[in-house]
Amino acid sequence: MRWLRRFTQRALLEKRLESELQFHIEQSTESYIAQGIPPAEARRRAVLEFGGVERFKEECRETHWENQWDIVVRDFRFALGCLRKDRRFAFVAIFALALGIGASTAIFSVVDNALFEPFAYKDSRHLVTLHLRDLDQANDWRGLFLYDEFQEFQKQNDLFDSMVANLPEDVVYSAGENSLLLFGNYVTPGTFEFYGVAPYLGRSLAPADYEAGAPPVFVMRYKAWINKFGADPSLLGKTFRLNGVSRTLVGIEAPRFAWGGAELWMPRGPKEPKIIRSFDGRQYWGVVARIRPGVSTQQAAASLNIIAQRFSKIYPKDYPAHFSMEVASFAHIVVPPRFRRALYVFSAAVGLLLLIGCANVANLLLARATTREKEFAVRAALGAGRFHLIRQLLAESFLLAFAGGILGIFFAWAGVKTIAAVLPDFTIASETVIEMNGAVLVFALVVGICTVFLFGLAPSLKASRGNLEESLRDTGKGLSGVQGGAGARNIVVVAEVALCVTLLFTASLFVRSFVALQRVPLGLHTDHVLTARLPLPPERYKTGAQLNAFFRPLLTRLKSMPGIAYAAESSTLPPYGGIRSEVQVSGQSHTEKWYGLFQLCSEDYIPVLRIPVLEGRTFTETEVNDARQVAVINQTFQRRYFDKKPSIGQKIRLNELKDFPDAVKDPWFEVIGVVADARNRGLQEPIDPEVWVPYTVTGSAMRGILVRTTNDPAAMAKTVAREIWATDPSVAMAEPGTLDHFLDLFTFAQPRFALWIVGMFACMGLLLATIGVYSVMAYNTARRTHEFGLRVALGAAARDVVKMVLGQGLRLLTLGLVIGLVSSLALSRLITSELWGVSPHDPLALVGVAALLLLIGLLACWVPARRATRVDPMTALRYE
Amino acid sequence: MAQEKSEFLKGTLDMLILKVVAAGPIHGYAISQRIQQVSKDFFQVPQGSLYPALHRLEERDWLEAEWRDTATGREAKFYKLTRKGRTQLESEVLHWEKLTDAVALILRTAE
Repeated sequence: MRWLRRFTQRALLEKRLESELQFHIEQSTESYIAQGIPPAEARRRAVLEFGGVERFKEECRETHWENQWDIVVRDFRFALGCLRKDRRFAFVAIFALALGIGASTAIFSVVDNALFEPFAYKDSRHLVTLHLRDLDQANDWRGLFLYDEFQEFQKQNDLFDSMVANLPEDVVYSAGENSLLLFGNYVTPGTFEFYGVAPYLGRSLAPADYEAGAPPVFVMRYKAWINKFGADPSLLGKTFRLNGVSRTLVGIEAPRFAWGGAELWMPRGPKEPKIIRSFDGRQYWGVVARIRPGVSTQQAAASLNIIAQRFSKIYPKDYPAHFSMEVASFAHIVVPPRFRRALYVFSAAVGLLLLIGCANVANLLLARATTREKEFAVRAALGAGRFHLIRQLLAESFLLAFAGGILGIFFAWAGVKTIAAVLPDFTIASETVIEMNGAVLVFALVVGICTVFLFGLAPSLKASRGNLEESLRDTGKGLSGVQGGAGARNIVVVAEVALCVTLLFTASLFVRSFVALQRVPLGLHTDHVLTARLPLPPERYKTGAQLNAFFRPLLTRLKSMPGIAYAAESSTLPPYGGIRSEVQVSGQSHTEKWYGLFQLCSEDYIPVLRIPVLEGRTFTETEVNDARQVAVINQTFQRRYFDKKPSIGQKIRLNELKDFPDAVKDPWFEVIGVVADARNRGLQEPIDPEVWVPYTVTGSAMRGILVRTTNDPAAMAKTVAREIWATDPSVAMAEPGTLDHFLDLFTFAQPRFALWIVGMFACMGLLLATIGVYSVMAYNTARRTHEFGLRVALGAAARDVVKMVLGQGLRLLTLGLVIGLVSSLALSRLITSELWGVSPHDPLALVGVAALLLLIGLLACWVPARRATRVDPMTALRYE
Repeated sequence: MAQEKSEFLKGTLDMLILKVVAAGPIHGYAISQRIQQVSKDFFQVPQGSLYPALHRLEERDWLEAEWRDTATGREAKFYKLTRKGRTQLESEVLHWEKLTDAVALILRTAE
């Protein structure tokens, strides 16, 4: 307890120290007096022999640990003063450090969350998904399978440990007057054991729930429970009316369980009758398997191919002419492999950003050390011990590292939040939680802080090497100073500039690509259009006539309302056009199969989207009501399948309609009009042949509405919902929103995200490169102050000095630019898949980037150059 | 040279203090007198510089201190060797003797 007592009794200690020293002096005085010396003289001698009382007191205090604190405080106060004197240095160093730490942590965290650890499922590295690939088209044919196929795949237990499937289903939850649409998934037995995630509340689905005749149950997603049901735990065990079936809620799943992106999961055993109606009556299941350790994805795919070959004979419509099965790791579905590669490249770039941030800080610290060499030499000469100098530098480094670290953590936090906020839905798996990665943050902090301490101590090492005379004589003088270590620093600057060029070039390609994408003519007007999907209760809406009984009165009422110009029924939303079908054209024979898209719509569809009619006419209300088999085709259809021959009055056959649950027996349609082309496979894909037919010809397929308003469409959403419920309260409105919003979500969101990420990289790169160029140039000019003074004294104009510094900077910049441009051109191949409407060697981007970098780089050189010229020649020459 | 001498002194001063204190409880002034007396004024340092050394040794638990009255009735701080300090002194003396023997041997035989 001694230490505690000492800490609390500092006043007493101080008094004792005083009396101990005074005792010595008094004793000494008395002994002189005893020798016969007069008291005054005796005292003088005693004090003289003793030495500086205050100094020894201070030295005594320093030996006590409790006083170390005061010393630390003093050192920090001194360090703070030093940094305050050189504010520009302090800010730039702290900022560079924070940026390096923050940027690398934020981006690594996102990449890690999204790519490497997106799922919280058991052993998710061995999870695979199955795809059927069309070998002629080089893209996925389908990633969903028929139940028969799934069952057959499931038997391959030499390849897979286990396999489960899920079937998406709109679930209308009827609660009194209103209906709420929920996104459900039917799941096969063993699903929850497969994913191995414990439920948040209650229980997951158990084997007994899948038995035929078991009481109907379901489990809910955590997010839906929070957002749509107010996180009410008493809901557990309650019965919900879902799609006309009473089901008991038995559990809430863990927050990160979101398989299929569903809001609720319902058991579905193999023996249950088919009650589900998808757009063409067949059920397509998503399939996930856990591959056996040691089995390669190629091996698995080869075995599945044999099964698929057999099924292609049974379901010829579901298979392209040439195909192969593909087994892809789970990660594949999160980020497509091509974009993945680009992200790896970016991650490497982020690592480099951190290194460069640290290199910048190192350069800044070295530059400062150089200009302070003399200060330290003088202080050492005046008696400051080596340990003393090191302690003060440590304090300075600590302050820098602390401020940089705190700001860096803030940057990282803000960066992660920002990225998570701008990250569009559907870009990453819904299970993914974007959060700061602690390990990465710690790593970045350690690297950054070590840099500060390592280079922050540089001047003390030099000063304590003992060679004071040389330091005093030779500080920062003459041309010789420029040589020392200049090579390494220049390489850093060149590397920074090169990296920055690459990042900027990539970013500008993304910008150009994004602009090009937004300029794509759609061929239709998406403004002032409100859309909603309307999942109708399947048990009551089976035929076209039943559908018409709902839509006709609804459309008539909507159209009569103020603020609504047109209202139409539609089966899909533009710019994605309809159901794919094989088509035939009367009087035309052809060997290869012809395909087209078709839409089931009402007479106002074309006017709602303002698609120009080129020939003939669109359907009338009577034709729709009577379900007449008439068709409107687009220009591409006309050009591809009719060529120059007239199409009006000709007949086309939509084979797919024959296989619908509510089949059209003889699906021949008479062409009555041709309309202009509008995008129907998204913005980037070429336009497909398209056909519009009255929606009343069949009761199958998903439905929705398009409403053209005269004012803000979002403001009309409530009115439209009210009218829908007034027509049939059991119909829920799904995904209501404006067409512009829909377009943004599915078309622009992903490229915008890429743009954001790359843009952030590029800004960081530019900032760090600027700081880098600045710090090195500042260092170099600081070393040459004496030389510049000499030159000015000998008659050189300020302009010449600026020119000299700029020339030196320009050499570094140019070298970096050239290396950067060459590597950009080489690397831009990697991101070709993410670009659209712009060449990966876009000259405008190249020139723009080069100009921007030169400008900023020269500015960074100009600041220290200016400072060099402001030096008074006399001061500069005396500066030794 | 001045600096070298003081550096040399710092290391040996600790040992000398320990040696002097080993004789029994003693106050600072007496220690300084004793060192000067025994060394025949070889160590020409300000007397005050003894005290930081004393405090340092006390901080290391080689010495312990006690306030009590002197023979003349004045209160003074008396230092005394701890068990740890005794061990330290023994090892330092041993080390010193080895060193001086070695140096002496070289000086004698290196002719």
